[in-house]
Amino acid sequence: MWINMGPQHPMTHGLWNLRVKVDGETIVDAEPEVGYLHRGIEKICENRTYPQVIPITDRLCYGSSMSWSHLYCRTIEDLMGLEVPERAQYIRVVVLEMQRLASHLMWLAAYAVDLGMMAGFIYSMRDREVFVDLLQNLSGSRLTYNYPRIGGVAHDIPPGWDKEALRACDYTEQRLREYEDLYEGSKIFMMRNEGVGILRRDDAMNLGVTGPPMRASGAKYDLRKDRPYEAYADMDFEVCSRTEGDCFARYRVRMDEMWESCRIIRQAIQNMPKGKWRVVAPRNAPEGTGMARVEDPRGEGMMYAVGDGSDRPYRLKIRSPIFVTVSAAPKFLVGYKIADVVAIMGGLDMCIGENDR
Amino acid sequence: MTGGGLENRGDAQELEKAPTRIDGDPEERVLRVLRDRFPGSASDTARVRPGLVRAHIKREDLYDACRLLRDALGFEHMSMISAVDYPDRFEVVYHISSYQNNLTLELIAQTPKDDPVIDSVSDIWGGANWQEREAYDLMGITFKDHPKLERILMLKDTLYHPLRKDFRG
Repeated sequence: MWINMGPQHPMTHGLWNLRVKVDGETIVDAEPEVGYLHRGIEKICENRTYPQVIPITDRLCYGSSMSWSHLYCRTIEDLMGLEVPERAQYIRVVVLEMQRLASHLMWLAAYAVDLGMMAGFIYSMRDREVFVDLLQNLSGSRLTYNYPRIGGVAHDIPPGWDKEALRACDYTEQRLREYEDLYEGSKIFMMRNEGVGILRRDDAMNLGVTGPPMRASGAKYDLRKDRPYEAYADMDFEVCSRTEGDCFARYRVRMDEMWESCRIIRQAIQNMPKGKWRVVAPRNAPEGTGMARVEDPRGEGMMYAVGDGSDRPYRLKIRSPIFVTVSAAPKFLVGYKIADVVAIMGGLDMCIGENDR
Repeated sequence: MTGGGLENRGDAQELEKAPTRIDGDPEERVLRVLRDRFPGSASDTARVRPGLVRAHIKREDLYDACRLLRDALGFEHMSMISAVDYPDRFEVVYHISSYQNNLTLELIAQTPKDDPVIDSVSDIWGGANWQEREAYDLMGITFKDHPKLERILMLKDTLYHPLRKDFRG
């Protein structure tokens, strides 16, 4: 029997449909259906000048817009052959890690409410506000920041902002300890997570699963470490990975990443050099192609841009990590019970904005 | 693309396979193997920047080249498939990564405007499945032997391929 979970279902954060075929309560097949939020962003970008595209790429993911506009700027910098000033690289590292913290905290809130733990939702959303407020002080808006620019960032950090950021890290680390007690001390949470939704390392690689789900399956790869971009080469941090490959491992990897993000923010702020934060980018890009890949909070984000000598991109292809991860849903789900679907799919951190583009 | 059934519940540790790690200079090695195995087909091989190499290949040899890349050269991960509509041709650009060699290959295959057909690689990398469907949906490239070549982002009864340059909304 096929069951439609969605498009309107509390599990589907955003709008998508998961069709599962069940035998009794056991899942024997699954088929995700996406596309409800398709806005044709790749086509829109072909009709805008290069700087005009930045606010559009912000709208790719409402949970981590900074990392998408940053990825777009990196791609166009590769196309134009621009070098970003060192101070801008450090500022980018700070805001990207703040975005990762905000995104992971929002995932944690959504995951808690998926598993019926309302307290976790309220606490995580409150502490996400800390970073959303900081980014609002920096850029002027709460969710779609429009802060990175081709060749740097829009403006320097305001006075006193770095002190606030350091204090936010202290506060978050203290709170993370409480979360670990709250979640891992809950017997229900552990029973719904441990041994559920196991993904093997080989399958994760072959199916293109990236980010925390891949690292939770025993693959210890992180683009920030393996192919460092911006100032990540100067930072001292660990790549978080687990070998179990179940929902609990994915939860643990994200929690560990938040600790590492706090470490990175501290180092980047303390070692931030003085100097320019932006170079002027040319209006037109040369003929050719540019490609950039970054470690988005949800996995490996990639863009491929084709320039034709004019002031608009000829083609901009966006690789969304969640689009590929959700295509592997049958591998996660088959063999488990229908009650596990919410835990398994919630643990992937779905974001439909970037999935459907 | 049906899941693997109950054997999914394997032990993650025992499945660590011996990786295909290339000693020495992996970038040069990959390009040389492609040139040697597909003479006359693999062309314009170039090292773009550290960690990124580029090669063009004829579409007849694409499937064999991809199989060779996965089995012998350690490319275990299909990152991105992009289709580009140039005035005189379609280009399908495959970004294939090897984490263990820390290398990305940009493999480019071309199809004529009036015959946009190319072999599917979704049985080599499962991650290619939806990306090929997306390229079919938005650009109208037909992937031969794809298990389920249907529209994915647009409605099922759409008559056009919106990312083509001759599309006027």
